[in-house]
Amino acid sequence: MTAMVPPRHLVLRSPAQRVALRLPLRALVILALLTTALIVLTVLSLATGSYGVAPGEVWETLRGMTVSRAIDNVVWEFRFPRTLAAALVGAMMALSGAVLQNATRNSLADPSLVGVSQGAALAVVTMTVLFPAFSGGLRPWIAFAGSILVALAVRSLSHTSQGGSAIRFILMGIGLSAFISSITSALLTYGEIDRAMTALSWLAGSINAASWTDVRTLAGWTAVLLPSLLLTSRAMSAMQFGDATALGLGAPVALTRNLQLAIAVGFAAIATSVVGPLGFVGLIAPHAARRLAPAGMGLHLLLTGALGALLVLFADLVGRAAFAPVQIPAGLITAVVGVPVFVVLLIRSRPANAS
Amino acid sequence: MNQMRAPAIVSHKLRAWSGVPALLLALLAVFLLHIAVGAKPLPIQTVIEALTGFDSTNFDHVIIRNLRLPRAVHAIVVGASLSLAGALMQGVTRNPLADPSLLGLTSGAAFAVMVSTALFGAASLALIPWIAMAGALGAAAIVYLIARLVPGGATPLSLTLAGAAISAFLGAVISVIHLLNQDTFENLRVWLTGGLAGRDIALLAYVGPWMALALLAGIVLAARVTLLAMGDEVAQGLGIRTGLLKAQLLAVVVVLSAGSVALAGPLGFIGLVIPHVVRLYVGSDYRWIVPYAALAGAAYLVSVDIVARIAIPPREISTGIITAMIGAPLFVHLVRRRTR
Repeated sequence: MTAMVPPRHLVLRSPAQRVALRLPLRALVILALLTTALIVLTVLSLATGSYGVAPGEVWETLRGMTVSRAIDNVVWEFRFPRTLAAALVGAMMALSGAVLQNATRNSLADPSLVGVSQGAALAVVTMTVLFPAFSGGLRPWIAFAGSILVALAVRSLSHTSQGGSAIRFILMGIGLSAFISSITSALLTYGEIDRAMTALSWLAGSINAASWTDVRTLAGWTAVLLPSLLLTSRAMSAMQFGDATALGLGAPVALTRNLQLAIAVGFAAIATSVVGPLGFVGLIAPHAARRLAPAGMGLHLLLTGALGALLVLFADLVGRAAFAPVQIPAGLITAVVGVPVFVVLLIRSRPANAS
Repeated sequence: MNQMRAPAIVSHKLRAWSGVPALLLALLAVFLLHIAVGAKPLPIQTVIEALTGFDSTNFDHVIIRNLRLPRAVHAIVVGASLSLAGALMQGVTRNPLADPSLLGLTSGAAFAVMVSTALFGAASLALIPWIAMAGALGAAAIVYLIARLVPGGATPLSLTLAGAAISAFLGAVISVIHLLNQDTFENLRVWLTGGLAGRDIALLAYVGPWMALALLAGIVLAARVTLLAMGDEVAQGLGIRTGLLKAQLLAVVVVLSAGSVALAGPLGFIGLVIPHVVRLYVGSDYRWIVPYAALAGAAYLVSVDIVARIAIPPREISTGIITAMIGAPLFVHLVRRRTR
């Protein structure tokens, strides 16, 4: 018992001590470190590419000074939206995974594993192929509709009288994903070749073509969804102890769970509608965040978001720089990194959840 | 009691035997239909003439011999192999979810062929089956190892999950290699979606004999699989050397899966669907399930390939897309039913 050192906390109190916040110091430090790393990686991402730009020049450009017209153009028009989109998509996928894991009490959940991403993909591909005239502004909504349908299907299929089990939930998702993907592929074969090619590069989870419009969509939705998620974080902490305990603590369990599922699906659908299915980020980030610094739900979600952003930014950078003229979609890099993590989590899952 | 049961056994045998000619007839019918339909529809009469008395000056006969017959033969061989492999796997592991594609064997074989082509250039046709077999065996071993380490052991569910993880990983690596060597892989691109279009009959000459041998071995071993499906102790008590039998069956399954991948690319869910359908008719005796699965699998893949060729006229759907479309719902149903 003597070895147990309680984690140090930073305590903030309002003047009359009405409201007080007790924040774990370690988590705050890590969050600061992650933010710094995010900034460094952003600058690095802006500097890397077929047109070489020195990090110093990037910094100057970002501060509004024009180093040269070419650099201005490359940084502002091509690399900056791409970098921002990567970071935002990463954060959204990570948060979606964290919320899914909490709402389904399943440590293996990830939007791309349970079919949510594939649902969005099918909805968007259907629209692109069958109704090519539809406007891009509708895309997030259509993606959301497709995702929520699949999420509901997986949820209702994996629940039986004995209650759901973690592995069965995932397997159900894998089966549904295979079915949905086959329909998507068939639609691609059916569609016009040039439209199919656009859809194909999008399906690999590539951030190549992100524009400022995409960044605006992503940022707008994050601005709506993130605060609503943080509002439910108190009920989420209670739900970590199980439904009975959470109900006893006065948390609105049913309402919170439905809200959470909607938010998780929303995050995944919007991110997918912009860059295509991006696997395993939602699986890795929450676990890594928990490992780096135990924290309350709110802070944990922020850490998860930052880690997800870092992960996808890094994957995009590696995919761009590792085999220089060829660009590897970020989705492939995250899958290569993510599967070993998935296997380790599977091996360490509790026996109670195993079958 | 014995007198009561004897007629039941006889009628079951009769029922099982009576299915064989029906299946053979169905296979022949879809085989001829497969050759007849296409961009230039040919009358069945011409098809039969081309097969029985080939006339090299007749243009239709040349189409049939050089283009359509190889594809139909490929569909028969691959369909029979994959569903027989699936049936054996389900019996040995007592796992209703077993299938060469779900447990990572097909992606392992595809991965090995891909990597060896990327590293050493296009391998000779004679080597491809061996490379594919090594890949299938390696992937199967890794999947089994992961599933063993999961708390609760190698249950059907943990095996399937491990298989899905390995397939996802290998799939991503294959895509990366593919992107890096686009020129080398122009011809492999179609192959990777799992289709039967434009197959080279030369490869069948190398792989075919091995697969025929494995199919035969599978049918011979089938009687002992029935005992194995009752559990290792029961099988041992009845005088079966379970270790040896399992090794033999593993060899058969690996040869069949790897050969199918070499011929047609990774086709999913065939080994899952057919044995389950066959079981509805012949019950749980593997002496019947295994040969039935081979025949029904061949007829199934030939029919699916007909649909793939004519569903959207000017173009073709990859055969693998349709097998997944049919197989995935059954998979969901099986997972759902398996409530423990």
